Amino acid sequence: MSRMTFKGGTHPNDQKQFARDNAFVHYLPKGEMVFPINQHIGKSANPIVKKGDAVLAGQVIAEADGFVSSNIISSCSGTVKEVELRQTAAGTMAMSIVIDNDGKYNQVDGIGKETDYSKLSGSEIISKVKAAGIVGLGGAGFPTHVKLSPKNPAGIHHILANGAECEPFITCDDRLMREYSDDIVKGMEILLTLFPTAEGDIVIEKNKPEAIEAMKKACAASPMSDKIKVYPVKTKYPQGGERSIISVVTGNHYKSTQLPADAGCIVDNVSTIRAIYRAVAFNEPLMEKGFTISGDCLKQPTNFFTRIGVSYQELFDECGGCAEGKEAAKLISGGPMMGMAMANLEVPVQKAHNALTVLGVDEVASVPTTACLRCGRCNAACPLGLIPQYMADAAVRKDLARYENDLYGLECIACGSCTYVCPAKRPLVQYFKTAKAEILLERKKQQEAK
Amino acid sequence: MVKLYNVSSSPHVRDKLSTGNVMLDVIIALMPATIMGMIHFGLPALIVVCASVASAVLTEFLFNLITKRKQTVGDFSAVVTGLLLALTLPAELPVYIPILGSAFAIFFVKCVFGGLGKNFMNPALTGRCFLLISFGAAMTRYSVDSVTMATPLANMVSGQEVTWSMLLDMYIGRGSGCIGNSVGALLIGAAYLWMTSGLTMEVPVAVIASFTAFVAIFGEEMTFMTLLAHILGGGIIIGAFFFATDPVTNPTTTKGRIIFGCLVGILSGIFRVYGTAPDSVSYAVVTSNLFVPFIDRYVITKPYGYRKKYMNRIANGGVKVKGDTVPKGTVVLGVITLVAGLALAGSYQLTKNTIELRKAEEAAASYKEVCPQADRFRKDSKLDAKLDAVKDAVYGTDFGKSYIREAWVAVDASGKDCGYVICVASNDAFDGSMAFSVGFGNDGTVSGISFTELHDTAGMGLLCGEPKFKDQFVGVKTDAYVLDKTGELKDANAIDTVTGASISSGAVVNAVNAALDFLSKSKGE
Repeated sequence: MSRMTFKGGTHPNDQKQFARDNAFVHYLPKGEMVFPINQHIGKSANPIVKKGDAVLAGQVIAEADGFVSSNIISSCSGTVKEVELRQTAAGTMAMSIVIDNDGKYNQVDGIGKETDYSKLSGSEIISKVKAAGIVGLGGAGFPTHVKLSPKNPAGIHHILANGAECEPFITCDDRLMREYSDDIVKGMEILLTLFPTAEGDIVIEKNKPEAIEAMKKACAASPMSDKIKVYPVKTKYPQGGERSIISVVTGNHYKSTQLPADAGCIVDNVSTIRAIYRAVAFNEPLMEKGFTISGDCLKQPTNFFTRIGVSYQELFDECGGCAEGKEAAKLISGGPMMGMAMANLEVPVQKAHNALTVLGVDEVASVPTTACLRCGRCNAACPLGLIPQYMADAAVRKDLARYENDLYGLECIACGSCTYVCPAKRPLVQYFKTAKAEILLERKKQQEAK
Repeated sequence: MVKLYNVSSSPHVRDKLSTGNVMLDVIIALMPATIMGMIHFGLPALIVVCASVASAVLTEFLFNLITKRKQTVGDFSAVVTGLLLALTLPAELPVYIPILGSAFAIFFVKCVFGGLGKNFMNPALTGRCFLLISFGAAMTRYSVDSVTMATPLANMVSGQEVTWSMLLDMYIGRGSGCIGNSVGALLIGAAYLWMTSGLTMEVPVAVIASFTAFVAIFGEEMTFMTLLAHILGGGIIIGAFFFATDPVTNPTTTKGRIIFGCLVGILSGIFRVYGTAPDSVSYAVVTSNLFVPFIDRYVITKPYGYRKKYMNRIANGGVKVKGDTVPKGTVVLGVITLVAGLALAGSYQLTKNTIELRKAEEAAASYKEVCPQADRFRKDSKLDAKLDAVKDAVYGTDFGKSYIREAWVAVDASGKDCGYVICVASNDAFDGSMAFSVGFGNDGTVSGISFTELHDTAGMGLLCGEPKFKDQFVGVKTDAYVLDKTGELKDANAIDTVTGASISSGAVVNAVNAALDFLSKSKGE
């Protein structure tokens, strides 16, 4: 019997109804495009263009610096306007390449030419993925070619295609699985040729029955249909978290210092897997992706299929903005559980961004925080088995030794389940992020002192 | 200037459940028990509940007002405290007692320690303990419609046999007791809380299981029925589901909660079996509350990735290690439970005969004391038939609440019948119950009285057990004794009361008369 779900978690209203039935709108941006040089985990890329240079769509404009890094690709044609600090969705300023988009989308030669990838070796496939600048598109932005090069490739027994999409409101993966199911299965076939000992599981929450059907159909048509299967799971947040998804399929749990590969798994978002297919089979670098604009106060919630680098404002205007008589109270890059609140929309869509959520009510500001009742709901909701109630206590008292050593506070993935369920409405994740930052800062200081 | 929107840490949505909702759910869950209490005890119960709740809310309101704090009465937690306290009080109380109790609970236990979430003991129960210490007599005098009655549990302790109808009364809450004594209604409330996920079951299960185990092992002469009565009576249910589960004074982890629940259960068991306090659970819970900070500090469960089972798996490349699917804890617990159960059953079987034998010996010794001419005692079928007809109910109409419990025929050394021993009990004692055996000669004169039980106000009622009082009965041939309240009656059958304990003295006289009446009626037929 296969497991249906993981331990802990919570059930926020999934709010998928706003955008789930709206097919992808393919949109080519018109305005200026901004490409921060660090859109991934690891070292920033090195810019190889300068102000005034002409660039084509698909051209590498910043090169990966070392192995754990990733190329930055221009998704439009035009001229480089600036290489300067620009604001990002995270609220920070980041070195970015700004391109004056000429709207022609002239491409680098060779993009879109179909190649017979069955003849490629494993290392050739991985170098293609690296050249295409592919990173985890689900949110983390971990360079995919690194993920595909584990220490012990023979130990990989599961390739998990993450189609859980557990964040409320977001529906772009749902649409992708419905509209590009064959691409995803083909991408999975490529991964399975890299790891012949593994089986492929496409994990989808049960609130997406159409996607499950579409993926099942595509799997059945695959020559590898005996090794690829659809794995429907209970709708529960944070099902799409890497650890939750591994726990469901394999029953494994691991430490934050370990990797999915230690548990014999490679987890990739379905859109990453599609990008792998496009890169390997069509030489297509990562230029476009699904992006949902949804919320409870919008005129027309929309699933865009658009170019990376476009500004949030342009997409927001394109879909018509807020409904008449309604006003946005909060703008979130990503979903409401883990997304980042933004002060305004003049920031670019990056590789790992997948949604803009616009909320009509700022619940965080509107509900008062009361004292902790010690009810323990947060403990029950933690998908990692941590004890948020004790952690919050230690974090508030600045007892960082207890936080780190006794309570394993650095394991926290900031999924927000504890904070969501808290009846006292305490900002637990905020405490944890602060405590973590303080601990890491202290560590850095000590290392420098040595 | 571009409009800037609010920025905050994720998550940006929150569950609808708020502190106020949580408290409201508890209030809803307590409603069945409150309503049953009002139906059973009537207006006095309503007055106690209202006084207690009003006092709790007012105290918090005034505290916040005077100390210029944010007003917190809107979160309903003071209502919960007041209501919980009221449910643990007898219905017919002077109204100032619940008012004082709630004020104490809110002011001393909650407010001065920092308000909601900061109290280190359960406020309602601490308030109750305060009242028990301050107003002991009033707090333990349970009455229904102004008639003071012992609680079913007290009756059982004083020797009354546990019947199914008595258990049913305890379940529904028909007997005497505190306002929230309807176990069934409490369980309905607990089920509601559980279904609305406001209550997890670790603590109640741990409390009831450990209490049951403790009482079963260490309690005297436990049978299935008395065990059930121990669980249904004495506040174990309300304690387990509504007091021990108070989140503020609970550890917050599952493991911690199980430890805490067992502590409450075992302490309740100790207080119930060995203690003299009328209220085992209140003291057990507030005592256990004091251990919570220690449990919080030291009982820490590791995150999954650091647990041995999962570390072994990862070391094995993420592939299941043989045999790791069976949770070790479950097996260990199962084995412990099984061994404990078998040991319990075994020791019960081994000691069963010894217990009965010892009981018979003890009884025989006390019978000889009241019937010195006898050598041994035998059951008599005629007497037994009469006894069966009367022993479950109050005997006759003229003897107050006296019961005839046992009847024996005394046999002398030569084998001839030489008298009788009648065991009687009375619920009319000033404060509680009494039981004693009366010895009779063949002609019906009292040859002695020996108390087997005398719970009474220290110093006063206990004097009824002194020879000065008892010996007045001996050697007098009469049909009925008369209580001489003035000390002026000179008849042989007049009994002088113990000074200051006329109610208990009267109870003894009534019970002896009941025994006389029973004996004469039995012999007459």
